Amino acid sequence: MSHKKYALSVVFTLLFLALTLTANAQDTINLRYTLWIAADSPQLALFNEMGAEYTALNPNVTVTFEPIPFVDYQSDVTLQLAGNNPPDMGWIVEGAARSWVESGILADLGPALKGSDEYNFADFSESSLGLWTEGEAVYGIPFSTSPFIVLYNSDLFAAAGIPTPAELIAEDNWTWETFASSAKAIVDATDAYGVQSVDAALYTGNFWATLIPILRGFGGDAWTDDNVCAFNTPESVAALQYIHTMIFTDESMVPPGTEVDFYAGGAAMTLGQLSRVNRLADASFEWSIAPLPKGANGDQPVVGQAAMVVFNNGSNRETAIDFLAFLTKEENVARLAAFFPPARQSVLASDVIIESNPLIPADLMQTVVVDQIQNGRVLPSSAQFPRIELVTRPLLDELWVADADVQLIADSICDSITPLLNR
Amino acid sequence: MQLTRPFRNMSLAQKDELTGYLFVAPQMIGFFLFVLGPILAIFLFSTQQRDLLSGVVKPIEFANFDYMLKQDRIFPKVLINSLTFTFWLVPLNITLALALGLMLTRKMRGMIFFRTLFFAPVITSTVAWAVVWRFLLQGDQGINQILASVGIDGPNWLREPDTAMFSVIITRVIKTVGLNMVIFMSAIQNLPREYEEAAEVDGASPWQILLRITLPQLAPTILVVMVITVIGSLQVFDHILLMTNGGPANATAVLIYYIWFQAFRVFDIGYASALAVVLFGIVLIATAIQWVLRGRFSYNEH
Repeated sequence: MSHKKYALSVVFTLLFLALTLTANAQDTINLRYTLWIAADSPQLALFNEMGAEYTALNPNVTVTFEPIPFVDYQSDVTLQLAGNNPPDMGWIVEGAARSWVESGILADLGPALKGSDEYNFADFSESSLGLWTEGEAVYGIPFSTSPFIVLYNSDLFAAAGIPTPAELIAEDNWTWETFASSAKAIVDATDAYGVQSVDAALYTGNFWATLIPILRGFGGDAWTDDNVCAFNTPESVAALQYIHTMIFTDESMVPPGTEVDFYAGGAAMTLGQLSRVNRLADASFEWSIAPLPKGANGDQPVVGQAAMVVFNNGSNRETAIDFLAFLTKEENVARLAAFFPPARQSVLASDVIIESNPLIPADLMQTVVVDQIQNGRVLPSSAQFPRIELVTRPLLDELWVADADVQLIADSICDSITPLLNR
Repeated sequence: MQLTRPFRNMSLAQKDELTGYLFVAPQMIGFFLFVLGPILAIFLFSTQQRDLLSGVVKPIEFANFDYMLKQDRIFPKVLINSLTFTFWLVPLNITLALALGLMLTRKMRGMIFFRTLFFAPVITSTVAWAVVWRFLLQGDQGINQILASVGIDGPNWLREPDTAMFSVIITRVIKTVGLNMVIFMSAIQNLPREYEEAAEVDGASPWQILLRITLPQLAPTILVVMVITVIGSLQVFDHILLMTNGGPANATAVLIYYIWFQAFRVFDIGYASALAVVLFGIVLIATAIQWVLRGRFSYNEH
């Protein structure tokens, strides 16, 4: 090969390479997906796996999953949005749903998802979509619809010589009364407390998770679906009084200012969701789960919800919507069901979900999780949620003293939040 | 290298000046971009309705301040909390730091141990510090268990409004006193010994020496430490968030906590900025007062 020819061929090769590279660069899309999940969790591994599968189908698209701790999630994502560097897509928790939907920053997924026969949008029950729709528009697809459950320490029930929740259910006697009397029996007979609030957060953290299941169990609520305060209805006051009695009269519920951990054996029962079960994988005691006790009007299942959303001003909106559809198609929802109780009827009806969690037997998965999702009401949401929390928390603090006037406090909560609910 | 024309025509003094500016340029650029810019922006934001979530921005003049002063029931509470916190923390911290500084500069055995002991909390992470104290200050465990063994029924420290404030102040003092102690120690070690020796020869008591000789010489240091401590105390945030989350019943919610809540929970940046302007004003006034005092009391500074 002469020098001239050699030089020419090098030039052409380089030119060719440069052209193909720029061509690829133009078409390459990288989707940024924010979620609150531990960076080393099996959940994230599954998401990464699905991301890779999507890339295999669409070679020009890559997905980066960006974990953010739950407590910082909303503010981090909001700052990214405000800084014109929005993620393409992400998760949103139920409490924040209304404020995010109403702020207009979420993309309408309706046209893309409803139009596709393969996607089968009708598979999502209307109740599961309630928070995420406005008229015909769909702003989020719930991927986790997780019922509140009772987790209990069987050893402590045995030590106190009383029937476990499972045995009470068998006798059709699992009610909020037997819940409280079991807790009392345990605190009297053992060194442990009877009940711990959800994540021990009732006094300093997320108090809604503990309050709502009990309020609704008594036929009350925080506020109604049409934004009327319900804290001070007779039913709600009875529920608040019930909690107060457990803490200060029975002394069976972990009181304020006491650091006790159910997951370390410090209490016999706690409320929680399916995801908490993972924390019991190495527990030194026997444990099991039960549905929420039967309430005044029969079962009142309560679910927490999180949805996948696409942000409006992301630069790859159409691709992000397509990827969301990929993640929430039936086959992938079934895979995610191992961690996140699904909202798709077809997956709920299948055997996939009841066999999905190695820590929980299939029959419990059916009765405690699947059956509750069907009728579960989602935790309350409001566009003014943070402001409501701001004014409610100090008033609730007044409830957590021995001589509190429950009715008076419930009334003042309603006085404070009614203007916010009507805003 | 040959200098280009504009530089060649400069006088020596001008060149010196330019060099000086070039040396401070990195610092000044940083200051203008990341300190002064945001401060000015806060003033602008405070006159806006500014929702971080939806991105809606609307000028509303002084409506944020109007709401703050006339309608917001939480604002007076957090303002009083902030002032209470500072009112107790600063004198406690400075007296203790000064006492420790005076004691630990004596030449005695075991001083290194005590210096380490009192400085250790400074380098402990706030998270660990707050969590450990939460366990120590439980209703019927930790410190109360010890108190119970000698027959004292301790309060539920973090859950009763008065004791909660008291608890966060004391734990904060213990956490930060070591730093001020070290500043005082180095100041004390640099004091000329002659005056004290002369006073001793003249028959002054140790107490007189401390009050009349040592403390006046330390006045400039005390004032600087006071400025730093006051500003620091108005900015305490993580400590309170982790120990009480502002509770019970907002008893420990301080101004900076409230600013954070409005900005990053409610996403009302406009109102949070208005609150920040108030905090800025308080810090400015507090610092100015101390600066005036500084001129009056530190006679030997000039």
